[in-house]
Amino acid sequence: MLAEPERYAAQSLAHVVDAVRAARDETAPLRIVGSGTWLEAGHGVRAARSLDLSGLTGIVEYVPGDLTLTAHAGTTLAEIAEATSAHGQWLPLDPFGDPRGTLGATLATASAGPLGGSVGLPRDVTVGISFVTGDGDVVNGGGRVVKNVAGFDLVRLTIGAWGTLGVITQATVRLRARPEVDETVAFTLPVERDALSTLLSTVRAASVEPLAAELLSPRCAEQVGLGQQPAMLVRLAGNPVSVLHQRTVLERLADCKPTPGDAWSRLRRSDPPQASVVRISRRPSELARLWSAAMTTPGINAHATLSRGVVRLRLTSLDPNLLASFDASDARIIERVPADWRNALGASRKASDPISRRMRDAFDPARILNRGILGEDSR
Amino acid sequence: MTPSLASQLSAIVGSRHVLERAAETFVYTADGLPGYRKQPTLVVLPGTRDEVIAIVRLLASVGVPWVPRGAGTGLSGGALAEGVVLLGLHRLKQIISIDPENRTATVEPGVVNALLSRATASHGLHYAPDPSSQAACTIGGNIAENAGGPHCLKYGVTMNHVLALTVVLPDGSVTTLGSADGEVDGYDLVGTFVGSEGCFGVALDATVRLTRNPEAIRTLLADFNSIDEAAQAVSAIVATGIVPAALEMMDRATIVAVEASIYAAGYPVDAAAVLLIELDGLTSGIEPDVFRIDAICRTHGARTVRIARDDAERARLWQGRKKAFGAMGRIAPHLIVQDAVVPRTKLPEVMAAIGRIAAAHRVTVCNVFHAGDGNLHPNIAYNAGDPDESERVHEAMRLIMKLCVDAGGSVTGEHGIGLDKLEYMPLIFSDETLSAMCRLRDVFDPHRMSNPGKVVPMRSCREWAGLPATRHAAVHA
Repeated sequence: MLAEPERYAAQSLAHVVDAVRAARDETAPLRIVGSGTWLEAGHGVRAARSLDLSGLTGIVEYVPGDLTLTAHAGTTLAEIAEATSAHGQWLPLDPFGDPRGTLGATLATASAGPLGGSVGLPRDVTVGISFVTGDGDVVNGGGRVVKNVAGFDLVRLTIGAWGTLGVITQATVRLRARPEVDETVAFTLPVERDALSTLLSTVRAASVEPLAAELLSPRCAEQVGLGQQPAMLVRLAGNPVSVLHQRTVLERLADCKPTPGDAWSRLRRSDPPQASVVRISRRPSELARLWSAAMTTPGINAHATLSRGVVRLRLTSLDPNLLASFDASDARIIERVPADWRNALGASRKASDPISRRMRDAFDPARILNRGILGEDSR
Repeated sequence: MTPSLASQLSAIVGSRHVLERAAETFVYTADGLPGYRKQPTLVVLPGTRDEVIAIVRLLASVGVPWVPRGAGTGLSGGALAEGVVLLGLHRLKQIISIDPENRTATVEPGVVNALLSRATASHGLHYAPDPSSQAACTIGGNIAENAGGPHCLKYGVTMNHVLALTVVLPDGSVTTLGSADGEVDGYDLVGTFVGSEGCFGVALDATVRLTRNPEAIRTLLADFNSIDEAAQAVSAIVATGIVPAALEMMDRATIVAVEASIYAAGYPVDAAAVLLIELDGLTSGIEPDVFRIDAICRTHGARTVRIARDDAERARLWQGRKKAFGAMGRIAPHLIVQDAVVPRTKLPEVMAAIGRIAAAHRVTVCNVFHAGDGNLHPNIAYNAGDPDESERVHEAMRLIMKLCVDAGGSVTGEHGIGLDKLEYMPLIFSDETLSAMCRLRDVFDPHRMSNPGKVVPMRSCREWAGLPATRHAAVHA
């Protein structure tokens, strides 16, 4: 049993710089922690110390007319939602898990939820980022304006890097105004693969522009309050005429039932506490195949984003038959699994290519930031 | 005796595609931004990806830097080569594949932007980023610059539309970044490569996202008695939550220049400013948004709001906007264009301040820009042969840039830094940040072979001084 790691609670940028420099000077790797909801993600961080950013919190600047917001990394998505809703605006990031998750962790992990299929990918909503490199340098990429190509893109570099290129301390994100109407419908999905495939293609080609469209397995549908049938949950937004039209179009394709909008927040929080999470993806046209493969496992808890072709499996045990039902070339992304599942899943090591290794040499030469989190070999 | 570089390159691409004489290379000494002339040692024009790879490997082996170039329509001096090899990629113009169901296309870098949309039109799809130079500019150049365009307001810039790239790095190695075939783990190398202004290598092919053609398009032209009213209208439109496909502003100086040119679009020449607003999307539901935007414009003082009746009128309204820089060519021989971005709420005060700077320096600033995302293009047509006028023009531009930065903005929204804006980089980035950019460059190009001297001022790179100077000397040998 490992001893509780030494913990730094950063309250300011200066604290982060001090902690990183000390860690570098003493070659004592740091685990970077936001609200701590991902601590047991099975990513195998090897660190003697943790750098807790949950106290580095607060909105730095919010000008509603600019539809941008700058906040410290430890600010929770819930706090941002509260501040922006007062102005009829929102940040369209809806990662799965606890809404007390922080902005910094959401960006560092590039976590997206159902809105990722339309407007909610972290890489697309982030316009500026501040981070502290493994050398303790304070770097500011992008800015506070919504369009910016000045210099090399340090924003995209950091998003999804899991903290390994720098500790994200602050970010500027673009907001959207709340749509006039925002409604949700659900309908039952066919079980048979060809029928499913036809339906998915028809919905994709239809005169609708869903804000989100998510397939739910019976287990997942039940958690969301839709009964025990495989279901599609669709979120339609816009002006009343547009939403009415889109709903009418969907009603012609399937037996749509009006559904309370909180189905989305229930879905977001529905990851079973101890579940391991793996995402399987291919180009969107293959979603029916991926989905049918997942559904061959009785009782599977899964959902999938229509426009992205991503199936998200929430597993409590590792069933070899389940994995065998996918193609070996289907992309497998591990969100959180026990260490001993990794090889069985056949997931590639992240960031093990030469460019990524050089990237780490450039931004964290001492390898002190979240060492091991990308499944990389130790040096 | 070792064969000359030109003959070694000729062995790869054929002597017809290696240009050495000044008369042949002249066209490559400038880009879309008049005011810079740089003479490449020679120009090499590969026709296949294997030729590109062979050229990059040869240049790496002899230590000669090079500058990649698409159609040369850039507005930052970024595709200019001084005393090094210019690598023109416009012959690689194959659309390799189109996947209508997944809405993607894989193309070579020399494919012209507008031709990709034309090729995908029969599938009801288009390539959304639409720089004003789209009739000539290439997808490869767009990727290097992270190009924008009027419709990026709703659809996003190039970065948002590139899924995967095959690139040759400056050391000659070939690698794939990203994927169009499922999610990719690890660093966002596509996002990092796009917008690297040719400093990280050359894309051999790109898989880009295609966008469904909208069912309906409505184009509105609203004219105002003051720039301030037009700017206030922009802020009000942005605040509604309706995201127009495009929201462009032109001031009187621009309107007059356009209307006097062959690109005349029927803009009212007595207006202080016009807004060109485009809404698109599903047919059902577009009219209420049109009605609302129309009302907002009128509330903010619009004299008239005209809605294009058909595609022909719509095309005419857009032609005036997209050819506005061309129209400036009638006014004076030289043009200086900026690309600053300001927070959208600052538009009214920034526009007023630009007017004051212009008056104080006795120059005519034309404003034609992407108002919806705060991306300004103040430009001045002038005669570079007149030293007094040149001095006033450059001083006014310097002050305008400072004004935009002080308002919380950026020095470039879509044109890139290139050579032109190098001096402005320290205005918005600290030494530590500029140094981080240098390190990022070195990840892809440690020997600074690809587009040397662009984007980050050399003095910002702590380690830069240590580079051997002999590298550049090799070109002249």
